[in-house]
Amino acid sequence: MTEFVSGISIVCFAASYAVALGCEASRLVFRSGVRGIVMVGFAAAGLFAHTLFLGWRAVSESGVPLSSPFDWYLLAAWLLAAGYLWLALANPRTPVGLFLLPVVLALVGAAAVASREPFLQSPAALVWARIHGSFNLAFSVSVALGAVAGMMWLIQAGRLARKQPPLAGFRMPSLERLTAITHRALGIAAWTAVAGFVSGVVLNAVKLPESVPWTDPVVLRMGLVVVWLVVADGVALAMRRRPAGDRLAAWLSVVSLVVLAGSLAWGLLGVSQHGIPSATNKPPAAEAFR
Amino acid sequence: MTSTTAGTTTTLTLVSATHRTVPLELRERLAFSAEQAATALAAFRERFPGREAVLLSTCNRVEFYVAGENDVPAPPAGDLVAFLAECRELNAALLDGVVSRQADEAVVRHLFSVAAGLESMVLGEPQILGQVKGAWLLARDSGTSGPLTGGMFQAALRTAKRVASETSLGRERTSIPSVAVADFAAGVFERFDDKRILLVGAGKMAAETLRYLREAGARDVTVVNRTASRAVELAARLGARPGSFAELAAELAAADLVVSTTGASEPIVSLVLYERVERERQGRPLVVLDLAVPRDFDSRIGERPGVWLYSVDDLAAACDANRQSRTREMPAALAIVEEETLRFMTDMHHRTTAPVIEQLKAGWSETGEAELERLFRRLPDLGDAERAEIRQAFDRYAAKLLHPPLVSLRSESQSGPPHGLLDALKRLFQLGE
Repeated sequence: MTEFVSGISIVCFAASYAVALGCEASRLVFRSGVRGIVMVGFAAAGLFAHTLFLGWRAVSESGVPLSSPFDWYLLAAWLLAAGYLWLALANPRTPVGLFLLPVVLALVGAAAVASREPFLQSPAALVWARIHGSFNLAFSVSVALGAVAGMMWLIQAGRLARKQPPLAGFRMPSLERLTAITHRALGIAAWTAVAGFVSGVVLNAVKLPESVPWTDPVVLRMGLVVVWLVVADGVALAMRRRPAGDRLAAWLSVVSLVVLAGSLAWGLLGVSQHGIPSATNKPPAAEAFR
Repeated sequence: MTSTTAGTTTTLTLVSATHRTVPLELRERLAFSAEQAATALAAFRERFPGREAVLLSTCNRVEFYVAGENDVPAPPAGDLVAFLAECRELNAALLDGVVSRQADEAVVRHLFSVAAGLESMVLGEPQILGQVKGAWLLARDSGTSGPLTGGMFQAALRTAKRVASETSLGRERTSIPSVAVADFAAGVFERFDDKRILLVGAGKMAAETLRYLREAGARDVTVVNRTASRAVELAARLGARPGSFAELAAELAAADLVVSTTGASEPIVSLVLYERVERERQGRPLVVLDLAVPRDFDSRIGERPGVWLYSVDDLAAACDANRQSRTREMPAALAIVEEETLRFMTDMHHRTTAPVIEQLKAGWSETGEAELERLFRRLPDLGDAERAEIRQAFDRYAAKLLHPPLVSLRSESQSGPPHGLLDALKRLFQLGE
């Protein structure tokens, strides 16, 4: 059993998610009675392997469990994959995977090139480090869900404006529902991002004297993301009772994901004193997909 | 026309009067109510004993499916036409030129197509499935449906379910009110029970659209009309609240969905009026189903943010797109019908081989028993366990020997009754008639 679990690689569950995504995309081409079962089956198998992989890492790696950038990306992907599976079972005719699974695969891809070294924390800083990491995870997942709802809103609104009937097997949720999800996701993302940043400040104070400088690229880019999310949520709330408010909220959600993705990509490429210097801990090419 | 083997004959006959060939006036006279159908089936049982029959009567078709077997074959189609005419007190000559007649495999294919909605006036409409099932159940209760028609109608229901689940033939809506509500209004609103619906005018499509909205959960409905008394009367009829036409602007400000069907020659809601109302709406989306010709809403209102305005032409275009989509599904639906027809016919042809197979099995079993008896007499010391083991070995041997001819019969049944093989078996194994 141990040998089986330790043999699971990120390629296993990434491939399962990719097959589920292929099934979702095939809705646009043909109808099938068994596609739903195949799609959910592969997504469930991927999530199962993903869970075992993270569980194995949590018990087998040294340092604080699941605290490396690699684990952080995989945890975010796991949450979104679990959300996808739930949505696919609850709303089998809605092609939510077409929007959500690419984000999951992008996160798994980012994990493949991210550092696997756990952040080194003193026992005193551990609690704050966990709070900081959890809030960051929560806001990132909220941003992704909000962006998916925003993209679906824009597509659904485009279809309604062009006065076209819905495609068979490709029925989007109503604008009313998507608007509610978009606003809620933006709100949660903004407040959890603020909480994540504040807990980061506290963590930095606890870690003194080896704290991260305020001019560190990670601090700066995350600060920008937090400011963007707070402004975006504020604008969305202020415009909510205006005729174009729902459309604006959808766009803000999509742009928020772009801002966050840009920030994370910057982090993958740059050198920082936040945690472990990422440039020195990238896995060798052969190890990236293990 | 006939499925015949050396010992078994099965015939299927259909006479049908449908919207394709029979004018409405004649269809009306030929149509059967449930009671009349039951009476006709009872009369059929007395007139043609030993045969099976199912009578399907809808507003678009009257179809009489009859099956017979062996020495009680289905009556000739002409007799069935005369019987139907007699039941409805019509001159049979009136039906002669317009009623179509089909037999055997064509009957099966036709029934499967009918059940799947492929023969319906509105392609893929689902009501026909319930009517087909109802006709079969009535025949079963009347004692005129047995294994032949029972198997055929059960297969028809299975075919219809496959077409419904494996194609999108019946999914897209094709009427303007249903498209307006299910494809457009439901694309904007998640639920209707908390929405305010405003009906403006008393056009034909208003009530039909409201019916779909009610099915979707709409409860709060206001009706306004230029003539106040007409609004009150309409509101009472539709279970809605009457409003004042003079306060149309206020009603628009409060509404979430408007269905407009007045006979006005000019738009009753101008862009200026809507812009005044827009501020009071506080950004809430508004769906307008403008079903009036000429239109009741200035088309520029549809360009305002948060407004989803659909005219009759917009909805008719969507209906056409849905109809085309249904038509595109036809090849897939026909392929399912063809596959199920082949499956049913194979089963039916194979069923006709049953007597010969039974004879063959019985003959081998008899020979086996005789040999076993002889063997057990020669070996009297055998215990019960050994005897049972030897008996099982004999049975397995016989089953293995029988397997290849059974497979060949099944395979041959796909292309028709396997006369040649059955005759060969009978001659080779000297089976009696």
